[in-house]
Amino acid sequence: MAHITLNQYLQQVLEAIDNRDGPFCAEMLSFKHPHVANPRLQLSSPEEKCQQLLEPPYDEMVAAHLRCTFTVSNHDFVEAYKCQTVVVQSFLRAFQAHKEENWALPIMFAVTLDLRIFANNAEQQLQGKGKGNVGDMLEKAADQLMSCFRVCANDNRTGIDDSKRWGMLFLINQLFKIYFKINKLHLCKPLIRAIESSSMKDEYSTAQRVTYRYYVGRKAMFDSDFKPAEECLSFSFTHCHRSCQRNKRLILIYLLPVKMLLGHMPSHQLLKKYDLMQFADVTKAVREGNLLLLNEALVKHETFFIRCGIFLILEKLKIITYRNLFKKVYHLLRTHQLPLDAFLVSLRMMKVEDVDIDEVQCILANLIYMGHIKGYISHQHQKLVVSKQNPFPPLSSVS
Amino acid sequence: MNNTAMSNAWHHSRRGRGHRHKEQDRPNRERAVEQKAEDSVPRGACMTMCPAFELRQREAQNRLHRFEMLAGTERDRLPCADVSRAVKEYSRPAAGKDSTRASDLRPPSVLLKTVCYLVDDIAASSTFQPWTEVYSFVSDRLRSVRQDMIIQRVSGPDCVAVLEKSVRFLLYASYRLCGQPLQYYDPRINDTHLQESLSWLLESYRDGKHRHQEEFQALSLLYNLGSTHALQHVLELPERIRSSPAVQLALAVSRAHSERNPVRLLRLSQRLDFIQVCAVHRHLLPCRRDLLLLYSHGHSSRNCRYPLQRLARLLSLKDPLAAELCRVCGVSVSGEWVSFSKSSFTEAPSGDLQCRRTHEPVDDEQWNCPAGSVIHGCA
Repeated sequence: MAHITLNQYLQQVLEAIDNRDGPFCAEMLSFKHPHVANPRLQLSSPEEKCQQLLEPPYDEMVAAHLRCTFTVSNHDFVEAYKCQTVVVQSFLRAFQAHKEENWALPIMFAVTLDLRIFANNAEQQLQGKGKGNVGDMLEKAADQLMSCFRVCANDNRTGIDDSKRWGMLFLINQLFKIYFKINKLHLCKPLIRAIESSSMKDEYSTAQRVTYRYYVGRKAMFDSDFKPAEECLSFSFTHCHRSCQRNKRLILIYLLPVKMLLGHMPSHQLLKKYDLMQFADVTKAVREGNLLLLNEALVKHETFFIRCGIFLILEKLKIITYRNLFKKVYHLLRTHQLPLDAFLVSLRMMKVEDVDIDEVQCILANLIYMGHIKGYISHQHQKLVVSKQNPFPPLSSVS
Repeated sequence: MNNTAMSNAWHHSRRGRGHRHKEQDRPNRERAVEQKAEDSVPRGACMTMCPAFELRQREAQNRLHRFEMLAGTERDRLPCADVSRAVKEYSRPAAGKDSTRASDLRPPSVLLKTVCYLVDDIAASSTFQPWTEVYSFVSDRLRSVRQDMIIQRVSGPDCVAVLEKSVRFLLYASYRLCGQPLQYYDPRINDTHLQESLSWLLESYRDGKHRHQEEFQALSLLYNLGSTHALQHVLELPERIRSSPAVQLALAVSRAHSERNPVRLLRLSQRLDFIQVCAVHRHLLPCRRDLLLLYSHGHSSRNCRYPLQRLARLLSLKDPLAAELCRVCGVSVSGEWVSFSKSSFTEAPSGDLQCRRTHEPVDDEQWNCPAGSVIHGCA
């Protein structure tokens, strides 16, 4: 591959198109393939040669691709992005003309993936020079992907085997990645709707479904819908292939806080296996109702948690920690009329100094409101009166 | 060889080499393109607060604002413009309208002077009444200043100084004019301007060191209390800024909000300075209602009563006002005692309690804080 001439390359592409060989053609246009390192193909103006051998719009598409290999060899990702835009646009023209056939889907996957990657690289390059607004290029890439998406989604008259609709989930996953990067999560909603209403949603490849559920789960977390988040992320985790340790770890980073909020603490083994010991102290603190340890753990691994975007969710574990602490107090005192002072003392023992009796009442009121405690506060008697039956319902039954 | 022949030869060879410049001279070409782009950015040359052309036009069309008229001519058929007090007004960009004429644009130094004039001589002055009119004038003229900055792509310390004063003015206004009839003050429009200015300001802080950054990061967090986006932004700030007292206090307030501890939130708010209260005040009334909601559930018992005085202290309201808030929210008050019941609390209050009435802090101290010192807070 590193030695073929331009002519040979173009001949191979032409053959692939004629034979409707989607996968091979995709390789010829993908930056994962070694041909992009071939200096004989890195040309700044290959248009004429391409026009000689290929029909429009393939000639434009391949010419743009070759120009792209040239710009990439010069490390000019801004230009590379522009070239790749032309590749995608010309591809789309060809794709739309394919009636009742979807052999070109692998090509679409390859060129759109490269588009997103170049948009990322281009932005980084511009940022390094102090120019360009974050997200501009990615948004433009998203627009292009949406155009592709529409072509796929509108193919509803073709039979299922030849339908372009099989390309939808891949594109949606690419769009999710962009929207998460530019922090415009609300744009995910219409895409989720499109898939959920499709009869094909469970027929896509497992890999695509794992990625899809991962992002849907993360979005649900962001919207504080913890039950649906747990379902999606659990699916993602269990169906993610054993060999993709990095991905499994990534899913776990988001699955763990959600499960903890629902009252399920991870085992030490699990944390060790996936190198996520940052959660160990957090888990221990929540389980024991140890607010001091929780605060310490959050501060200690702050950078990691903030970078992953889970710091704010882990802070929500505070209320669960209060609940666990107060439950211990209840078990210790063995009465259903608990003096408020006891809770204050328990907090002081956890080195929580700046809380007074009024704040304790507020925390208790919050726990009662949320259903974590069944009972009421009597200010006059300075007591928390709890129900004789199941005053601290299991966490999984609440929320 | 004689000079003419040599110079001829030199010219020829230069001409011949033209086509080879394509790839090798790429960096030079890039720089040339950049230079050209910079040259095409408009640069203002108007050294007065209002461009001469606009001044003449508005004077002739009787479109001067009261604050721009020459003293003594206000009641004339055609009032005269006071050149030292006329300020360029905001005008919507339109197709065909050239907003880039140098004579109409004010350079950054003039923009800063304009903003200082607007704040010191108009907003902070007690001679101009009513303040709703002052707000209307100043906010429009500040908008025009920001427009000039956008057109000229101003950035750096001048830009930051202008934005900081604008933000303080808009925050102060949001507090002082809270509850005014819509025709005089629309909180949503003020909010739009405030959010625009804030995000521009925070973006500008990314480069270089800025003296007041901590203060404004804190104000932004307080104004946007409850926003995950705003909170995440603060968490990602450099340690030096995040650990400053202002930001730490704002974070503590934010934490109390996300942990849903209104008692703590209201208690922390006592430690805020005046401009910080201006920033956070619109969140305080909902927070007070939330306290009543939580207590309605937590203290829900037929036989129990809660002392009104203590509740008022928690709400940081005077007793009668606390009682009124309770009534509005369906919490029953009888004399000195409050009875909480989860079934009687109402989410949709009948007869709303205006935020404005809760502005007065319990000790009346800062109520009459002069506008000038607030808006100028930092030099």
